[in-house]
Amino acid sequence: MKKPQLLLPALLFLLSCNSNEEKATTPSTPTKPDSSIRSNNDASINPYAQVDISPMDMAYYPPDYPKLKMAKATTAAPLARVIYSRPHLQGRQIFHEILNYGVPWRLGANESSEIDLYKDITIQGKPIKAGRYVIYCIPQEKEWTIILNSNIDTWGLQPDPKQDIARFTAPVTTTDNSLEYFTMVFAETSKGADLLMAWDNIEVRLPVNF
Amino acid sequence: MKKFISLLFVFQLFFICLIAQTGNLPPLDKSPMDMSYYPSNYPVLKIQDKATEPLVARVIYSRPQRSGRAIFGGLVKQGEVWRLGANEATEIEFFKQVRIGGKKIKTGRYTLYAIVNDNSWTLIINKETDTWGSFKYDPKKDLLRTEVTLQKTDGLVENMSLQFEKTAVGCNLVIAWENTKVALPIIF
Repeated sequence: MKKPQLLLPALLFLLSCNSNEEKATTPSTPTKPDSSIRSNNDASINPYAQVDISPMDMAYYPPDYPKLKMAKATTAAPLARVIYSRPHLQGRQIFHEILNYGVPWRLGANESSEIDLYKDITIQGKPIKAGRYVIYCIPQEKEWTIILNSNIDTWGLQPDPKQDIARFTAPVTTTDNSLEYFTMVFAETSKGADLLMAWDNIEVRLPVNF
Repeated sequence: MKKFISLLFVFQLFFICLIAQTGNLPPLDKSPMDMSYYPSNYPVLKIQDKATEPLVARVIYSRPQRSGRAIFGGLVKQGEVWRLGANEATEIEFFKQVRIGGKKIKTGRYTLYAIVNDNSWTLIINKETDTWGSFKYDPKKDLLRTEVTLQKTDGLVENMSLQFEKTAVGCNLVIAWENTKVALPIIF
């Protein structure tokens, strides 16, 4: 009984916040918003650049490379990093309230998610040259297609298969816990690393050979 | 006693939930990362086919919050090297050759630091990338140092901001926090 009572004010709140939910410059995208739906309107205290609702983050391989470098625990160059923004669930479920099977997703929020390769690598037998790429996915129930694309420095996702560099498939595993913030990290394995993509109760691992 | 035990149990449950929630995956940073391009909002302009200028620069930095603290002269000590952000060292990447402080800067990635003083800041562009904070900052790896004068902001800036603004000869990198801002002229 409690739920319907809350529903109306919540709906009104969402509608009233809708106009300033993202930066004013955000283009309308055909896909559903994967960022937070709650407004964080701090324009009054920061006229220069608002703080993103889905904050950006960065993950290196080797994991925590900048800290290792600072501690002089490594002198080798880093191998890879991802730069992505972290949408959060806020009471929603990843499927099918935020993502849908078969619909391309930008693996993040705001600017297109980026993977930087500092050297040539191999993923599932395919050689990939050092450089910057957009990384996105097409999720399915049992496996995700992970795609590297050359249309870098872009916003959101306008998937143009002509600019795809390579496509891979990675199996989905489910966990018992729900992860609030979308997370990408490199997890070390015996052969290199997995690029781990985790959100809600879903984990997808793409093995990478360095 | 029963109450105490049940309270303890609730606390335990809370912490177990916390651990289960994040596992060993990274939690959200307190000072969130952000990115600014020149031309401003380049990624949006690019997908809308509205970019009229080529891509020139991008900064990637983490945004500490003021949180009621005194920043300049307090948290950020005068005369010390400051990382202009939080967490990973602040990174500036140039996609074409530019000039700063009369010096040519080649395409590439660099780190950005500042030394804060009463009336001016020294901004430093350094060649050591992919590092953390300014703890191992090495002046031998400096590419250049340049002085910029302080300006007052109109209001208090809660989260440190780095933004590019167009100028007649290129752009300025505007750095703002608390009640202070500086502009680093970039010529191209």
